[in-house]
Amino acid sequence: MTPAPDGHRRRRHAEAPAEQTFADLMNGFSLDSGRRKVRRVAPPPRTNPREESPSVAHEDWPTIADEPLAPAAPIPPAASIVRAYAYTGGRTRSNVNLEIETLVSANDQAHQSAGMLQAEHQQIIELCRAPRSVAEVAALMRIPLGVAKVLLGDLAERGLVDVHLTATSAGGDMPDLGLMERVLSGLRRL
Amino acid sequence: MDYVGSRFPDYGPPGRDLTSAKVVVAGGFGVGKSTFIRSIVEGDLLTCAALPPERAGAVTKLVRIEFGRLWLDPGLALHLFVAPQWQTPQAGWNDVVRGAVGAVVLLDIMRPADSVDAIRYFEDHKIPYVIALNNLHAHPRGDVAGVLHAMGIDPIVPIVNCDPRYRHLVRQTLIALAEHAKLDRWRREPGPGDTTPLAPVC
Repeated sequence: MTPAPDGHRRRRHAEAPAEQTFADLMNGFSLDSGRRKVRRVAPPPRTNPREESPSVAHEDWPTIADEPLAPAAPIPPAASIVRAYAYTGGRTRSNVNLEIETLVSANDQAHQSAGMLQAEHQQIIELCRAPRSVAEVAALMRIPLGVAKVLLGDLAERGLVDVHLTATSAGGDMPDLGLMERVLSGLRRL
Repeated sequence: MDYVGSRFPDYGPPGRDLTSAKVVVAGGFGVGKSTFIRSIVEGDLLTCAALPPERAGAVTKLVRIEFGRLWLDPGLALHLFVAPQWQTPQAGWNDVVRGAVGAVVLLDIMRPADSVDAIRYFEDHKIPYVIALNNLHAHPRGDVAGVLHAMGIDPIVPIVNCDPRYRHLVRQTLIALAEHAKLDRWRREPGPGDTTPLAPVC
């Protein structure tokens, strides 16, 4: 029995779907609720006609990790879209309503429990020692805005960052007169 | 304090009451949007990337949004965003524009057509805006008023001269915008508890 060439051929098969468009991949990430789910649920029902080989565990990898590489090449290295959305488990939306200018700041609880968080959350907590806006977090972490919103939403739901008010917090699409007045007098003082 | 928009209202009060506001800066290519922001904010401009909102076809490119921030008082941060240049200009402005105090449209009087899209967008969405004439490429073109009139700009829109390289001119432009936005807001819905904003408050 020669598992090596077999495994090699199979891997090549697995790479065939890599020819799909990048849009297919993105849709896969955003419509489904995450790659974790895909990984855990999808492989068992897949009926594999061939016998198991050591390379089975690696069979999934090309579709998830390697596929974006070719189309992602022209994108600036700091912001590979798919890699960034992997931080969020493929989620593109957050339950917490965050605007791009909403200020967030880490609270005491965050500093205490920082050691237990995943790396990206820790970085955000570190950044948010001073109040920062969502856009700033995205820019400084070099992640897309949507990813920053999801990660900050996670932290807000756990009560680790405070989400401060902004113009649309009250519901309307426009800032109220009080805020405008404050902006005006602030500008005059500059 | 109640945090609207969150499912968990009991985060506890923050140490300080913080809030933020934003202003959008729009205009044609090379008219000085980034310069405008750079001359007034603290530090350098930051760039964040966003997915284009309308995901038709393959997503191959992130859109870059430039912005800067300054603290107007210890609890109020003002953000200035460059309205990003999408292929279809206004396709993704909603996220950037929603909740903005107003917009500054930089206009090069030699190339007024470049800023028309922005003006039309703000008029359609009822965002108060001011027109800042950028005199970088100053040219004795006499009939500025004629050009603006021909563009059909509402006479209540303030027109200011602004060379975006100078901080005091940028500041004046922003003050003009804030005053205009306040008046505009008050005109639209003079709330029962609101006092008239016409009196200058310093």
